[in-house]
Amino acid sequence: MLRLPVVSRGLFPGAAAAANNVRTAATAAAAASNLVEVFVDGKPVMVEPGTTVLQACEKVGMQIPRFCYHERLSVAGNCRMCLVEIEKVPKPVAACAMPVMKGWNILTNSDKTRKAREGVMEFLLANHPLDCPICDQGGECDLQDQSMQFGSDRSRFTEGKRAVEDKNIGPLIKTIMTRCIQCTRCVRFASEIAGVEDLGTTGRGNDLQIGTYVEKMFMSELSGNVIDICPVGALTSKPYAFTARPWETRKTESIDVLDALGSNIVVSTRGGEVMRILPRLNEDINEEWISDKTRFAYDGLKRQRLTEPLVKNESGQLVPTTWEDALTRVAGAMQGVEGNDIAAVVGGLVDAEALVSLKDLLNRLNSDNLCTEEVFPLAGAGSDLRSNYLLNTGIAGIEEADLLLLVGTNPRYEAPLFNARIRKSWLHNELQVALVGKEVDLSYTYDHLGESAKVLQEIASGSHSFSKILAKAKHPVVVVGSSCLQREDGAAIMAAVSTISQNALVSSGVEETWKVLNVLHRVASQVAALDLGYKPGVNTIRTNPPKVLFFLGADAGCITRQDLPKNCFIIYQGHHGDFGAPMADVILPGAAYTEKCGTYVNTEGRAQQTKIAVTPPGAAREDWMIIRALSEHAGVTLPYDTLNEVRARLAQVSPNLVRYDDIEEANYFKQAHELAQTVNQAVLTEPLVPQQLTVRDFYMTDPISRASQTMAKCVKAVTEGAQAVDEPAIC
Amino acid sequence: MASTAATRAAAAASKVVKPIFSRDLDEAKRRVRELYRAWYREVPNTVAVFQLDITVGQGRDKVREMFDKNKHVTDPRVIDLLVVKGKMELQETIQVWKQKTHVMRYFHETEEPRPTDFMSKFYRGHDPV
Amino acid sequence: MAASLVRFVRGGLGRSFNIARTSCLLQQQTRLQSSTTETSPTVRPKDSVTHNQLTAFGEYVAEMMPKYIQQVQVTCFNELEVMIHPDGVIPVLTFLRDHTNAQFRNLIDLTAVDIPTRQNRFEIVYNLLSLRYNSRIRVKTYTDELTPVDSAVPVHMAAIWYEREIWDMFGVFFANHPDLRRILTDYGFEGHPFRKDFPLSGYVEVRYDDEMKRVVAEPVELSQEFRKFDLNTPWEVFPAYREPKEATPKLEAGDKVPEKK
Repeated sequence: MLRLPVVSRGLFPGAAAAANNVRTAATAAAAASNLVEVFVDGKPVMVEPGTTVLQACEKVGMQIPRFCYHERLSVAGNCRMCLVEIEKVPKPVAACAMPVMKGWNILTNSDKTRKAREGVMEFLLANHPLDCPICDQGGECDLQDQSMQFGSDRSRFTEGKRAVEDKNIGPLIKTIMTRCIQCTRCVRFASEIAGVEDLGTTGRGNDLQIGTYVEKMFMSELSGNVIDICPVGALTSKPYAFTARPWETRKTESIDVLDALGSNIVVSTRGGEVMRILPRLNEDINEEWISDKTRFAYDGLKRQRLTEPLVKNESGQLVPTTWEDALTRVAGAMQGVEGNDIAAVVGGLVDAEALVSLKDLLNRLNSDNLCTEEVFPLAGAGSDLRSNYLLNTGIAGIEEADLLLLVGTNPRYEAPLFNARIRKSWLHNELQVALVGKEVDLSYTYDHLGESAKVLQEIASGSHSFSKILAKAKHPVVVVGSSCLQREDGAAIMAAVSTISQNALVSSGVEETWKVLNVLHRVASQVAALDLGYKPGVNTIRTNPPKVLFFLGADAGCITRQDLPKNCFIIYQGHHGDFGAPMADVILPGAAYTEKCGTYVNTEGRAQQTKIAVTPPGAAREDWMIIRALSEHAGVTLPYDTLNEVRARLAQVSPNLVRYDDIEEANYFKQAHELAQTVNQAVLTEPLVPQQLTVRDFYMTDPISRASQTMAKCVKAVTEGAQAVDEPAIC
Repeated sequence: MASTAATRAAAAASKVVKPIFSRDLDEAKRRVRELYRAWYREVPNTVAVFQLDITVGQGRDKVREMFDKNKHVTDPRVIDLLVVKGKMELQETIQVWKQKTHVMRYFHETEEPRPTDFMSKFYRGHDPV
Repeated sequence: MAASLVRFVRGGLGRSFNIARTSCLLQQQTRLQSSTTETSPTVRPKDSVTHNQLTAFGEYVAEMMPKYIQQVQVTCFNELEVMIHPDGVIPVLTFLRDHTNAQFRNLIDLTAVDIPTRQNRFEIVYNLLSLRYNSRIRVKTYTDELTPVDSAVPVHMAAIWYEREIWDMFGVFFANHPDLRRILTDYGFEGHPFRKDFPLSGYVEVRYDDEMKRVVAEPVELSQEFRKFDLNTPWEVFPAYREPKEATPKLEAGDKVPEKK
């Protein structure tokens, strides 16, 4: 479970801004605002009315022990660990649930408080098994830490303990329900944040059990977060079981690239091997959660790796060789090739440094044929105006929206944390959601407006009933998924969506800084590639097949040998031997996202950097270094030798690429809209079907997750049931 | 950090520090020269006593190289300490307390020189340094 | 001789008489104690007599040598510590050795402590023992890497090897030492191992090379990742001993100083 420093935790969801106001307002005249004065151990603090005792104490910096309270979940108040004595109040109060009253003096270390904590701890430990040596949560267990700090040092327990059967809720979460202390955090998480109401409590009193009651799998894309939430070792990670202890791992802060959101993660490594991936707090993107693919696909980093340069010999076999040999071969093939005879295709997991060095290399050979595998409509505004391909509202901005229109996307499986944010907004801020496209199971209710793109044009022209609702919305948001922009009529869809957004912007009367049009990408490198000037879509290569083709992590299979002439020389640079590698004549092994310090731009346009957690295996090197070495062999040496110089080049091209953790706001919506009107407006009649429809399609979408055994087990469990992947338990 | 270094430098320039042996740079340089002469004269004895496989010329070049490494030092106290350490090494060499391996360690014969250009570093491995 | 015999016999006889009496007394005492007073068996009892004696002596010494002695303290374990200026090593040690009321003629230990956060990073500690008065005293001075300290060898001959060890391990130069050379490290060893910035694994490793037919020294290469455990709990451990927050936040260049509210 994740431990976070007190200071950076937000008090309420969305009330971090309010907290800031409280802090500055406290020094202003207190009588003017309606702040209440409370004393914590004699120290006065001004809080808003309605804050709980626990939040007031946290403002002062005094952490009250608790098990069931979590800032992002509703208050349950059933663990009773947070009991504190308040002066002149006869009974201790549950700090997490009791709102403060004026003039209360909260004593967090008095005799009664300590006695209450020792008592509650004694009760909790009464039925808790003596599993610490074999429990995965040891070292990061709330029960261990709080019993050491707040519990009694002697035990009076002479009775027997009860035991509970384990529940099978999937191949990812290991349940040992004997250890459960019935805090119900997992129940509240599943029902509020994940949206699947699978977990619940059965029985009462001593016989209370948490489970699914029927033999059901906890099938949500955010299911791994209950592992972080559970304060004890009742819910732990099955792939991580019995592998490492938290104190011996080294933590590296990094960014996840398996989807386009760029969730902040912490990569825990030990001995040069990734042990697990945990979420990091980032209020703007992923709060405290990460999706299952991010969390569990790390074992794909250890399988199917390219570790040595491979070249095809005379008989057509790829044989391992040295770097010098491979680079000389590639440079030889690039001799004399100029202009559009050399082209490059870029995949979804590539960092901006590699993108810029490849572009520089090909530009020095007079070629401009750099394409991404993911298509984006070039007609109209295309990728010229940044606002046309970003998630302009921002992920956190969804919380302020009151009407959301999703077009041809399934955010639940394309960007699970974005979906969690929509759900949060739907739950707390009454967001209305409408969907155009194939009906999918989202974790909230929505109006399904239709399946085909014609519906979009009706809304754009105002003839659909939804147009009136859209016109009345105060903060409307339109999100179009990149999967529906991959079709031939993508430009027309974009134009229709642009019209809808412009109309909504005008009719809602909202301020200039509110942005309506958003594009939700599915791959992490698309925005950086578009920022750097890559052409989306491989059509140019299909129409003019080149003589030398450079695949940089391109595993989506857009271009195959059949599309290219017989003597085309294919170079593949990537980290997994997935789809692109067998096609190649020369394979150059690169580094995955945990092994390089790379810049990735998420769909909001926020640049973030990954850090090196482990070194690439075997003879693999970082991607931009390979391209730089290749350039030296080819005679067009690139002018940078170190990472800082590459980043200076990135800043030269587009300064926002090195302004980390900061969104560069994009504008020019009106101009984009006018450009969009010039395209061919004919839409196809096929329904807008996003590529990821069910949870089965969620797990294996990119080279790393396709190589992962855990993800394969998930897919099997989803199709065949939990029994199919049930392994005999060791403990 | 930068501010304390600056103040320390300013303070060192203005305040009087306790000298180790020499009061100013010239005296320190005199000591260095004395040490160098002592080492220069000792090299042939060393090569003979330890039965080293190097020539006397190579030995003297190595002595010169070790002295040149610290050419840039200006603080007399630092120079004094380096001279003290040099004298200790000389004593250990003259008295044959050292052995052949210790003397040959100056020559770093088994280590490969670290590459400095991009391509050699690329071939060698991941270390960006 | 006879008196001692009588004493012995009386002691033996008296012991048998006293046992019954003392056991009754003991029982009475335990009953009384459990009802009235609390015992804390794990807390060291405070010996104020020794503490006061040491404090008095410390003040006396400080009055005798005000030029060099900067601070005197008695720790909670009843140990007297005298902090002096580094120029005063020889005068203070001579005083403590020769003065009639001090007579600390034994130098028990001479060590250094490296505290890198301080300006004078090394703290030299002399532990002295007076056999006549059965008392110990600790003298502490400070220095940094480039400032020499006067050697204590003229005062205590025992300091010869101790100062060689400090020179070898820390790099503190002792002026007027008769024979200052390395004592624990290998002959060509570079570096001062007990300094805090010297890594645990060192910089060189040695192995026997078959081609050269001798032992060679190479830069150290660890085959296993260096194990660095982080044992900090995310819960605050001592809320009563929190350090006060900084008064003003760090200002970047160009920021205005916030007004005092």
